Amino acid sequence: MMPAWLASDWTIPAGLDDFLWTYGHLINSLGINGLLALSMYVVLAVGQLSLGQAAFMGLGAYSSVLMTLTLKLPFYVVLPASCLVPVLFALAVGVPTLRLSGVYLAIATIGLGEVLRALYLNVDVFGGALGINGIPERAQTWMIFGMLILALLGLWLVGRSRIGRAMEAMREDATAAAVMGVNVPGYQLGALVASAVLAGIAGCLSAHQSSFIGPNEYGFEPAVTILSFALLGGIGTPVAPVVGAWILTLLPELLRGFSDLRLVFNGLIIVVAVLFLPHGLLGWRMRRRAA
Amino acid sequence: MLRRTLLATLLIATPVLAQTSAVMAQPIPVGSVEILSGPAAAYGIAIKSGMELALDEVNAKGVLGGRKIALIVEDSAGQKDQGLNAARKLIGRDKVIAIIGPTLSTEMFAIGPVVNERKIPIIGTSTTATGVTAIGDYVFRTSLPESDVLPVTLKAAMARGVKTIALMYANDEAFAKSGFEVMKATADKVGLKIVAIETFGSKDSDFSAQLTKIKALKPDAIGLSALVEPTAGVLLQARQLGFGKETQFIGGNGANSPKLGEIAGPAADGLIVGSPWFIAKKDQVNADFVAAFRARFNKDPDQFAAQSYDALKILAAAIDRAGAADSEKVRDALLKTDYSGVMGAFQFTPGRDPASTSGVVVLTMQGGKFVVLE
Amino acid sequence: MHDLRAGPYLCLVPRTMLAQQLVNGVLLGATYALFALGFTLTFGVLRVVNLTYGFYFTAGAFLALWLTRHLGAPIWVALPVASVGAGLIAVVIDFLLLTRLRRKNAPELASLMVTIGGVLALYAGMTAWVGPDVQRLPPGLISAEAYDIAGLRITQAQILILVATAVLVAALLFLLRGTRLGLALRAMAERPDAAGLMGINTGRAAALVSFLSGLLAGAGGVLIGLNFNAIQPFMGESMMLRGFVVIIVGGLGDIRGALIAGLLLGVLEVLTAGYLASSLKEAVAFMILVAVLWTRPQGLFGTSTVRRA
Repeated sequence: MMPAWLASDWTIPAGLDDFLWTYGHLINSLGINGLLALSMYVVLAVGQLSLGQAAFMGLGAYSSVLMTLTLKLPFYVVLPASCLVPVLFALAVGVPTLRLSGVYLAIATIGLGEVLRALYLNVDVFGGALGINGIPERAQTWMIFGMLILALLGLWLVGRSRIGRAMEAMREDATAAAVMGVNVPGYQLGALVASAVLAGIAGCLSAHQSSFIGPNEYGFEPAVTILSFALLGGIGTPVAPVVGAWILTLLPELLRGFSDLRLVFNGLIIVVAVLFLPHGLLGWRMRRRAA
Repeated sequence: MLRRTLLATLLIATPVLAQTSAVMAQPIPVGSVEILSGPAAAYGIAIKSGMELALDEVNAKGVLGGRKIALIVEDSAGQKDQGLNAARKLIGRDKVIAIIGPTLSTEMFAIGPVVNERKIPIIGTSTTATGVTAIGDYVFRTSLPESDVLPVTLKAAMARGVKTIALMYANDEAFAKSGFEVMKATADKVGLKIVAIETFGSKDSDFSAQLTKIKALKPDAIGLSALVEPTAGVLLQARQLGFGKETQFIGGNGANSPKLGEIAGPAADGLIVGSPWFIAKKDQVNADFVAAFRARFNKDPDQFAAQSYDALKILAAAIDRAGAADSEKVRDALLKTDYSGVMGAFQFTPGRDPASTSGVVVLTMQGGKFVVLE
Repeated sequence: MHDLRAGPYLCLVPRTMLAQQLVNGVLLGATYALFALGFTLTFGVLRVVNLTYGFYFTAGAFLALWLTRHLGAPIWVALPVASVGAGLIAVVIDFLLLTRLRRKNAPELASLMVTIGGVLALYAGMTAWVGPDVQRLPPGLISAEAYDIAGLRITQAQILILVATAVLVAALLFLLRGTRLGLALRAMAERPDAAGLMGINTGRAAALVSFLSGLLAGAGGVLIGLNFNAIQPFMGESMMLRGFVVIIVGGLGDIRGALIAGLLLGVLEVLTAGYLASSLKEAVAFMILVAVLWTRPQGLFGTSTVRRA
């Protein structure tokens, strides 16, 4: 099940072991950010925009950490359960705003991130500004990539099915899709819920591989970063946003030498990619559509 | 066949030979993770400046009989993931034997366990939150925790007739919050009456609601725990709202920066703050440090620069005493530190915190500059 | 959840405190409204959530800093010059980032994305250039002394903010409702494609709107920088989130709505911090946002139907 080259307790050459340790966190981040990019993709695929992926991730992270530390639940229970709280919040935000144009969902989800940040800061059980530390490392690399592959497969199958066609129709023109009998609000809410599930699981995995979570990790800026994953890659297929996430995760590491100018490059790359590749780096679609 | 063996011998022998001679001249890799970009970059940059200054002085003589220290400073951008990647890169690729940093206590909670697991000593120079050194046996800090500084400050305030106090703190900053908790506990212990507790956000610029409320309660003093920018903002607005000399402002560690005077100007006058270091300290070591810092960076050093300057020198001395560029030996040598630097005499407790609080002085702001409180 | 000692003092609150808190709230609200004016204008006319908007706020403040510090300009010169400068910067950035997308009729999301990348690069570049430190306008630029009116305290900078907000709102309303140009802009807001057919030069109109919004943001940056006396590269970013709330609650593109929503938000935040708990202050904005989205998504003062998906 787990790829041998990813396992740290295998007998592998010392050099490779060192390499894996050095880049262990980065490799895990690739998987987690891939999941986050997919959670963004699901929403974008129905023509909506959510800036709440980081907030959903935070809910998954905090709720799962509390399950692990206070309820002492085993990880195989915690991981699937970590999507429950994010889904509840997705419904609370999605139901009123999905009736409106996309901008409303975007702004309401930014609001969600801020409300939650205030909550984490002021309620004792979340540790306030000091966050929660001493989280056991339960998330293994193979779990992270296993979830990513599962999510990719699932979304690929959905994308090829009738649902996928309906989603694409909505993205092109929601009004026309509604006229053709597509249950637009239903699909949109479903997509938001699915995205909350993915982000919640990503949050749980990320929290259980870095020993510390804090209230300032799930705000506006990470939300923007997650959005840029998906838009850089493009949303033609589920693979594209994952590639986008990988590029933007590796970029800061590759540009380490530039220190101060790193964020400038990061921003400019996004600008250039969007201006000259408006459908993302991987603009191809799953199927050819008749024009 | 013979030729092949010979070749093989050569291939094996050459690098070994080269290595032994290179070891002598090879610089000793030391890493650092600090915030060099993003909104909190000012702190990381001050810390980096302090280390660079110390590095030049250390490398002029060298350690372990003339070897230089190669300092590799990585940027965490204040983000957990980047900080973790940076620490792993320093250990895995650059093979550093020790790490200085990171800038924030919350970053230490993420990075500390990883570095500790690899048995590499890591020395925080600005991580004042409670619980930092409890992460593990390889986690040190040279910054005095607030619990050592605040009792001195509050007692000085009481000597000036303060009996009641209102506390204000930035509740979104680990450093500020743990400073506040210490301030509250200390106030209770020394018998100050707390009349109000108010919070704000580190990025806030408006504090009028909290200050107006406090003003109606007429406390003798206001204790502030926040980074320097919001602290200055609170002071400026307090003066606008009519707080005068009758209210004693007391700063936490964050207020101890020359930037306070620069931003708040005369509004900061009269504030008192306890400090393990201050720029006008009269001993020779400190005077030399301040002069050298000004000459090189064209600005005044702050406490973050002073702390990191000492930290690098403490580490260099420990490497020297360890007798080898070996993390385990350096850790043991660090515990036996007995050093006198710009911050004064310095030793570690067995719990790897600073041992001595004798260096704490209470400063007061006068005309935009800190002077020792008489 | 709330502060330990917030409760018992409610009874001790003197009436002057309430009056002062209301003044505080109106002043804070005026800064929100001032910030949101240009934001709601760009959104209303150009239909772009332009995240670079916060950067013009920063740019205005830094231009004023440079003018006053190095050229010794008084505030009466620095304020208009810096505002116009910020407006010009906005035109250039808008041209670089958005014209191409506008011409290609690219989806809304692409425009949002490009401004995200743009603003990231701009803030980081600004930080690399001027440093992340908080900087301060030269002392004596404006008197820091507060006027004491019947026990209420208000400073010159605060009066300036109130006056500027009122003047700018009046000027904008006149421009939009009383001039031919305003008619063209409103036409563009309603039906961008039809406006083009009607002979409105949409490219030039977009440049004008960018200029106006940059000007408003720049003016806000100077005044708010002056009031809180803290200028640093990321100052625009921290205003953005409140800006979002104000323009939604006020109704997208609604100038008067933004003014009222800004004031309302300021007053409610101050009253929450003053009488409930200061830790709740940050959540106020978003509770209002959620309440408005559930009940009146067209904004508190909107009468027209909301643009639906």
